[in-house]
Amino acid sequence: MNDASIDELIDGLAGDLEPVRPRRIARASLWVGAGWLAAAALLLWLFGMRRDMAAMPAMSMLSFWLVAAVAIAAIWSALRMGLPGVGRDHGGWRWAALAALALPLSALFVGLGDGHRAVETARGGTELPCLPMALLAGLGVGGALFAWLRGGAPTSPARAGWVIGIASGASGATIAALHCPVDDIVHIALWHGGAVLLAALAGRLALPPLLRW
Amino acid sequence: MSIDEPSLARLMAASQRGDRAAYRALLGDCRAWLTRYFARRSAPHQIDDLVQETLVSLHRKRATWDSGRAFLPWLAAIARYRWIDMLRRQRDEVELGEGDAAVGAEDEAVHARLSLDRLLALLPAGQAQAITLVKIEGASIAEASRISGQSESLVKVNIHRGLRKLAGLVESE
Repeated sequence: MNDASIDELIDGLAGDLEPVRPRRIARASLWVGAGWLAAAALLLWLFGMRRDMAAMPAMSMLSFWLVAAVAIAAIWSALRMGLPGVGRDHGGWRWAALAALALPLSALFVGLGDGHRAVETARGGTELPCLPMALLAGLGVGGALFAWLRGGAPTSPARAGWVIGIASGASGATIAALHCPVDDIVHIALWHGGAVLLAALAGRLALPPLLRW
Repeated sequence: MSIDEPSLARLMAASQRGDRAAYRALLGDCRAWLTRYFARRSAPHQIDDLVQETLVSLHRKRATWDSGRAFLPWLAAIARYRWIDMLRRQRDEVELGEGDAAVGAEDEAVHARLSLDRLLALLPAGQAQAITLVKIEGASIAEASRISGQSESLVKVNIHRGLRKLAGLVESE
């Protein structure tokens, strides 16, 4: 490679130039929101919504909003990752995820206090479709974020894979929580939180090769 | 030559609208900026390749620049991505057992070392020495093994681990 070949390259790129529509986070946010709502509408239409939404216990309500905060923070980070820039911080989702650790920690303490009930709840969870439902429901947000980042320029595909996975799993877990009638912290941490963990791992393992550019 | 942020941002905005003259001027300015950027970070024989790869990436990803934000941090992020990609490719070459070309000790090499030395200082001594000998000074694996007292396998492992760590360090900068 030499100066002449770079000159030729610049001529070629300039000759190929076509107008482009700048990618906007606001527009992508609408697609992600639509993915979330569409998945929620579909899954709740198929499986139904829990009947006592208005009377949901405070603990379940708190869990729901904690997981929703993780989803929103991860979505925001993933959207920002699509538009590169040295010095831009994409780590906001970490604080929300840290706060959400309150769920498994609470479950752990409850489990330590009453091991028998915790085991029963955990077993009972396998009869409920919460985990697969959350994973499935997360595909709306996950798909929209993947499409955004695939067309964008994420400078750390591995981190982008984690964040898409977390956003997908957490958004799916909020949808599952609208269906799931169980208000036990062990169940929520294990089967709803487990969906976030599984989706994050899947995102980290499967997505980076597809996000390289 | 107009390598100041407002001029570059204006040229890029015009380029996104399809203005070829503005784009040609922008790419010329970016080329000069990138050459300096990579001269502080890479061996001289890699600079032209990195500049070209970054210009092509700039072209492919030009829609990802937001006119509400500064241009140079965007360009630097793309350049850094291409640099990390090159470090990864070097790491993979080590896994395949391929060598690398020797590097002269001209001025540019000295400048590249200034930045690299800062990063190499963050690596364990064995990894830094293996990378310095093979990737910067151009020694073969066998020569590096003899000089460093490390086995050939260990030299390869240290280069592999060191380059992976370097890529991580650059990414987190």
